[in-house]
Amino acid sequence: MHARIPTEDHARQEVKYSTCYMCACRCGIKVTLQEGKVRFIQGNRNHPTNQGVLCAKGSAGIMKQYSKARLSEPLIRKPGTERGAGEFEVISWEQALDILTQRLQEIRATDPSKLAFFTGRDQMQALTGLWAQQFGTPNWAAHGGFCSVNMAVAGLYTIGFSFWEFGAPDWDYAKYFIMWGVAEDHSSNPIKIGLEKLKRGGGKFVTVNPVRTGYSAIADEWVPIKPGMDGLFALSIVHVLLSRELFDYEFLVNYTNATWLVIQNPGHPDDGLFLRDVNGQPQVWDLERETFVNGIEAGITPALFGDFVAQDGRRLKTVFSLMAERYLDERYAPANVAAECGVPAETIERIALEMAHVAFKESIEFPIEWTDVWGRKHDKVVGRPVAMYAMRGISAHSNGFHACRAIHFIQMLLGALDGPGNFRARAPYPKPIPPHQQPENNVDIINAPNTALSRPPLGFPTRPEDLVIDERGNPLRIDKAYSWEAPLSSHGLMHMVITNAANHDPYALDTLILFMSNMAWNSTMNTQAIQDMLRQKDPESFGEYKIPFLVVVDAFHSEMVNFADLVLPDTTYLERHDCISLLDRPISEPDAAADAIRYPLITPDRNVRPWQEVMVELASRLKFPAFTNKDGTRKFRDYPDFIVNYERSPGVGFLSGWRGKNGDKFLKGEPNPNQWQAYINNQSFFAHHWPDNQKYMRFVNRDYLEVASDAGFLGKVEPIIMQFYSEPLQKFRLAGQGLYDGPQPKDPADKERLTKYFDPLPLWYEPLEQQRVDAEEYPFYALTQRPMFMYHSWDSQNAWLRQIMAQNYLYMNARKATDLGLKDFDWVWVESRNGRIRCQLKTMEGCQENTVWTWNAIGKQKGAWGLKEEASEATRGFLLNHLISELLPERNGERRITNSDPVSGQAAWFDLRVKIRKAEPGETGSWPQFPSIKRLPTDSYSRPEVLRYDARIAQDDKGQS
Amino acid sequence: MHPAFSVIFFTVLSGAGFGLFALLYLADLFKLGGGMPGAHVFWTGVLAIVMVGVGLLSSTLHLANPRNAWRAFSRWRTSWLSREGVLSVAFYPFAMIYLALYWLDIWPIVRHLSGALATLIAWMTIFSTAMIYASLKTIRQWNTPLVPAAYLSLGHFSGGMILLVVAMMAKVDVMPYVLMSLFQLFVAAFVKMIYFYWITRIGVGSTINTATGFTRAQVRLLDAGHTHGTFLTQEFGYQVPRMRASGLKVISMVLAFGLPVLLLGLALKQANLALSMAALLSVFAGLVAERWLFFAEARHVVNLFHGSQRC
Amino acid sequence: MRLGLVIDLDVCVGCHACAVSCKQWNASGTTGALPDYQPYGAEPSGVWFNRIRHFEVGSYPNSKTVNFPMSCMHCEDADCVTVCPTGASYKRAEDGIVLIDQDKCMGCNYCSWACPYGARELDRSTGTMKKCTLCVDRIYDQNIPVEDRQPACVLTCPAHARMFGDFDDPDSEVSKVVREREGYMLLPELGYNPTNHYLPPRKHKPIPVEMSADKTGLAGKLKQFVNRMVKR
Ligand SMILES: Nc1nc2c(c(=O)[nH]1)N[C@H]1C(S)=C(S)[C@@H](COP(=O)(O)OP(=O)(O)OC[C@H]3O[C@@H](n4cnc5c(=O)[nH]c(N)nc54)[C@H](O)[C@@H]3O)O[C@H]1N2
Ligand SMILES: Nc1nc2c(c(=O)[nH]1)N[C@H]1C(S)=C(S)[C@@H](COP(=O)(O)OP(=O)(O)OC[C@H]3O[C@@H](n4cnc5c(=O)[nH]c(N)nc54)[C@H](O)[C@@H]3O)O[C@H]1N2
Ligand code: SF4
Ligand code: SF4
Ligand code: SF4
Ligand code: SF4
Ligand code: SF4
Ligand SMILES: [Mo]
Repeated sequence: MHARIPTEDHARQEVKYSTCYMCACRCGIKVTLQEGKVRFIQGNRNHPTNQGVLCAKGSAGIMKQYSKARLSEPLIRKPGTERGAGEFEVISWEQALDILTQRLQEIRATDPSKLAFFTGRDQMQALTGLWAQQFGTPNWAAHGGFCSVNMAVAGLYTIGFSFWEFGAPDWDYAKYFIMWGVAEDHSSNPIKIGLEKLKRGGGKFVTVNPVRTGYSAIADEWVPIKPGMDGLFALSIVHVLLSRELFDYEFLVNYTNATWLVIQNPGHPDDGLFLRDVNGQPQVWDLERETFVNGIEAGITPALFGDFVAQDGRRLKTVFSLMAERYLDERYAPANVAAECGVPAETIERIALEMAHVAFKESIEFPIEWTDVWGRKHDKVVGRPVAMYAMRGISAHSNGFHACRAIHFIQMLLGALDGPGNFRARAPYPKPIPPHQQPENNVDIINAPNTALSRPPLGFPTRPEDLVIDERGNPLRIDKAYSWEAPLSSHGLMHMVITNAANHDPYALDTLILFMSNMAWNSTMNTQAIQDMLRQKDPESFGEYKIPFLVVVDAFHSEMVNFADLVLPDTTYLERHDCISLLDRPISEPDAAADAIRYPLITPDRNVRPWQEVMVELASRLKFPAFTNKDGTRKFRDYPDFIVNYERSPGVGFLSGWRGKNGDKFLKGEPNPNQWQAYINNQSFFAHHWPDNQKYMRFVNRDYLEVASDAGFLGKVEPIIMQFYSEPLQKFRLAGQGLYDGPQPKDPADKERLTKYFDPLPLWYEPLEQQRVDAEEYPFYALTQRPMFMYHSWDSQNAWLRQIMAQNYLYMNARKATDLGLKDFDWVWVESRNGRIRCQLKTMEGCQENTVWTWNAIGKQKGAWGLKEEASEATRGFLLNHLISELLPERNGERRITNSDPVSGQAAWFDLRVKIRKAEPGETGSWPQFPSIKRLPTDSYSRPEVLRYDARIAQDDKGQS
Repeated sequence: MHPAFSVIFFTVLSGAGFGLFALLYLADLFKLGGGMPGAHVFWTGVLAIVMVGVGLLSSTLHLANPRNAWRAFSRWRTSWLSREGVLSVAFYPFAMIYLALYWLDIWPIVRHLSGALATLIAWMTIFSTAMIYASLKTIRQWNTPLVPAAYLSLGHFSGGMILLVVAMMAKVDVMPYVLMSLFQLFVAAFVKMIYFYWITRIGVGSTINTATGFTRAQVRLLDAGHTHGTFLTQEFGYQVPRMRASGLKVISMVLAFGLPVLLLGLALKQANLALSMAALLSVFAGLVAERWLFFAEARHVVNLFHGSQRC
Repeated sequence: MRLGLVIDLDVCVGCHACAVSCKQWNASGTTGALPDYQPYGAEPSGVWFNRIRHFEVGSYPNSKTVNFPMSCMHCEDADCVTVCPTGASYKRAEDGIVLIDQDKCMGCNYCSWACPYGARELDRSTGTMKKCTLCVDRIYDQNIPVEDRQPACVLTCPAHARMFGDFDDPDSEVSKVVREREGYMLLPELGYNPTNHYLPPRKHKPIPVEMSADKTGLAGKLKQFVNRMVKR
């Protein structure tokens, strides 16, 4: 009687496995194709990352694949037109590559630093970094500097792994989970999977966040902290733990530097450094032997507390005594920080005690035998099941480095790291603290024409000598990374590139290549000014731009593309080979080392090329040593060939699975010509599951460390001792104080910053911008959050996702709004020291009273992203970025300084303060409005009034039925 | 509820048509005012049928897929909408037989029988139309016997006003028609007033709390999950500002009942065709406003999921 | 059989994954395509079978944000079916799934008026009503792996906040969780007897702590610390 329900016509379908690209989480996907069209994208249930689930972005891949914003031909700015005017001409790939090769050849043969190559969240920094190194320019980095380098650096200088992508909470066994400033994260699906596991198991979930949405919505307890106060909050928890003697004594003695002895010699170059023996080994006081002994060795009985006097008479204190002195101070008592943090003292104390209770009274034991690095056998692992995770709510403040370290302090005190139920490392982490890799800083090599750098442009300085500066102290990098302004900026400062390049400070560039980052819009601070800089002409050289040549590599028509001189159109994630490598930011989970690939599931219907292919091509044309045979011929046919055959060190390559001639080796082994196929056969990923005895305490787990060093994750097998007290910071501080026996800053601003902010123990200070902005005039903190269903700017082109959100609002605490006479849907002016915007207001309960916030990157420039000009994103959506400046407010007699964390160079997006007033009647629509971006000459896509996507129905090449 | 013009037009017109037919038959049966001349009865009957027909056709205008409209006759066992369709179609043969026999002036028994049947069906149809709305548990402003009462009384009142004008034109004794109209006016106005009073005092029904299951705290919508309208917000989201509703209520009551009462009062004294024409027009204008409000003031429970605190 | 969904409000993070996966599956499914209006224009909208709303319960600072996914509840007493004049709407006897026969629907919207849950959306291009099919074209497909025979929204939910199963079977997972976690129906007073149930947020039991604040001053505290003999 009723209609027969037709099922799928499987005969017309094919199922293939690949890896999602909609965000940096990189889930495994199972793609059903119906005669070449995408029918369905679902999670791959065998994949370690997402275990079968898929988020909204991943599920909307179809609408990305058929986006109207897809680029389809290489383009060059039309001769005689101005940059940013959006006038382009189509050129062939041959022409494009010739132009670029010629230009790059010239730069490389004269001054390689004149090329800057910066990339977005590309997930293939191993290749782009290698490329830059081979080119010979120090001017390379990915997005880490504006993303979450605070977390990376704080972690890697403290515990050997870090929040962000180098560790994950142990969701299976955690009983208490505290999440600091996370809305979505790179670990998008795993966090969702994990939170459910935790709650199902009865664990408690506490969220520290000024805003209660998303993950925070399902927290058992919400701590609506004031932005920028987490460091203080965390240190107050440290205070409570110390004052109640709630810490894991054994963990501290065995695995941290709490017992190391610090020289107390104020005014001298050794002040605050560790007491070391002639071999440079840190010394501790042995309680049994009553003498100083090597603190790294086994068989010692170190004193955790105490003042000592060295043989040479210098006064010493253990790290832990220094900590106790500092953090037991009443300054950090809950009652004394409550008002500043906006968190009741009772809550601070209770949370500290709850964590301690779970750590010590509800600890878990697994009968797993393991051997530590000193060769001692253990018959069990003990888990103190408190786990934590933190991200940009901590990171995107200029005091985030120290705040993040303060959080790691809590973990170390509780002995809650890399054990069952803890925050655990993901291979190739943990690494030595910090990792043994220095940024290239040899001026001669950097300046040498046609010469590759001797080591990668990025690394982890441990002392002023490691900075990338010239003998006069001037930055050698265009972003001034590793200069006195941001000594530990291990991911570069991408947010400074355009400003510095346009100011020719520290020098002028010739060519800037931007890959996969929308730096003319949402990933930049101060958008309007940045667009002006991109258009700025150089009065010195007639007709030239301040940034003479701008190459943009993108797959879609972003705001950035509009400013390109040369546009290289990339493929989409379903159309190309890709490799998510352990040499990079891999997809490992705590229980498994893992990597993955993509391979073409769909043939591009446009004249596009994968950027990886183009990079290999350019590297071959430019005859980079690593890409060229001895006889001068190219070494690698193409990108897949490169991935299989390139070896970083013998046996270690980009992909760790199915290595060896027969494909029977993992992590290390000779190249396997059939490696791609092996991955494809295994659903496009590889996972090496750690045996039980290598799963925990990996910072001192011998069996793990042996495998890890064999696989090249580490240099050698040695204990990784966690660093409460950070000696590298102290060295920079000494330099600031004028005491360092080596390079020292000259500028008083640098001296002051180093002295103040390079404290070897975490401290809290008011975020830098806020130190210079009148809090009464600008009473609100202003933040952004990522919506779970949108990836930065690039998902507004998605016909499905933009239905969920095509306009963002400014959210304010409801009671506060009432007090100010504001209500839902009022248009308001929001003003910061940097400018003003107009946007529409919404009120909510779950928002800290002094905070306003909005969703990130919803606002668009008219005409971009394949959208019509009247799109809500452009007319009513807005960017907060206009209000944020990449520079701190000017101060008399001081050079302009980056608005970044003074230690790590992390962009301080969330330090913003604003004032808000109601717009006048009739003042509606978002403001500022930018000129409309012209349609590309290649854009012949129809933009129908009604879209009816159906994979069963034949479509034309425009993805249009 | 979104007040769709086609539905307003349809319900007002077909209601009046059915009312007119029923009253015409009754007047004919009881020879009200001495009985109208055959031609008047016939043409008035035709008018009623045409009004019903135009109304029905206009109701198909709001069908998104009218090709399948014929299927609407199939579910008369459960669906009031289907019943309305079946009945309104069933009305035609009887009404036509009645009029045809009138025209031919034969078979009075058959004529009366079919007239009676058509009248019965007319009543049932108005009732069904009303029940389309009254049967919806999702809309409390409709889910009441006052709705069929209002549809029936308004249909007869408006139909009766037409009959009054016809009676005047037919020059029969109009007094009974005027009285009948006045009576119907008072009944309809009374029902409608009760309705208006009732919907303001409807009490607490479904709330955002019962909709979400959080019954012990304040619940507020933070985000509906879409920036722009959906089918649901377009269909159900219509909200008439309170001031405008009250204003329109007064206007509709004045037009539908106040003004006609005055005009009919005058008509009572002097049988003036123009006056009753004016009254008739006023009634229809009032009813369109009344029907518009009937939709506009109805709050579908789905609005609770879009932020309404109660419906 | 009485098939339907359980939504766990304790863990739903409001990510919209289920909504998008549903859109994706059904776009090329039994009642597809699902139209998108102004997909690249001013006010994009379209037909979806599953929508996520976000509510706030209580007031600051004790407010709780609750993410609320809603699709067809496959009601036991589904007025949407009884009111349908054409018979296009029907409820399957064998499993309780409420469906719309696209070949019969005349697009009168009446069923959508009868549905309290906003589950029905009109496709303006075909003129027919559309709604959640409980992925009837997946769950019975014998040609896909057994574990994939689940609604798209359930398969994809990253927080495992959605469960699918037979409410007639007291031993099914859905029946069990509804019993154990006091699952409830929305708008019960309307009497639709929806099959889909919602699990309320859990209450976490307090962790025992002793809050007697330690008032020892800095000097005293430091003195209290005693070195322990811990041998590495
Ligand atoms: N869906 C989606 N996923 C993404 C992305 C995306 O665009 N969309 N982007 C990816 C990228 S590049 C990144 S870097 C990650 C970032 O992922 P997240 O770290 O989750 O970044 P945000 O969304 O900025 O969230 C920051 C959170 O911190 C809170 N917050 C702000 N200031 C403070 C503070 O002072 N203290 C505390 N405790 N909280 C604070 C904000 O309210 C917000 O909830 O997400 C990645 N994943
Ligand atoms: N106000 C505010 N601003 C912020 C943040 C914030 O929290 N608040 N967060 C900051 C952070 S952490 C980040 S990481 C940045 C992110 O900001 P961006 O790095 O600008 O990220 P997207 O906007 O996603 O832009 C990525 C570009 O990559 C392109 N793309 C997409 N797929 C491909 C592909 O396959 N190949 C190529 N070649 N290109 C492709 C897209 O079209 C787009 O132009 O934003 C930063 N900006
Ligand atoms: S979290 Fe979502 S967007 Fe990111 S990789 Fe996974 S499925 Fe893709
Ligand atoms: S939710 Fe609505 S459409 Fe679904 S069965 Fe119930 S009444 Fe019908
Ligand atoms: S819209 Fe279609 S399914 Fe709904 S009541 Fe009308 S005919 Fe039935
Ligand atoms: S059961 Fe299927 S149709 Fe229904 S909401 Fe879930 S995915 Fe959509
Ligand atoms: S996918 Fe799951 S967590 Fe996300 S909105 Fe849907 S039910 Fe909630
Ligand atoms: Mo980022």
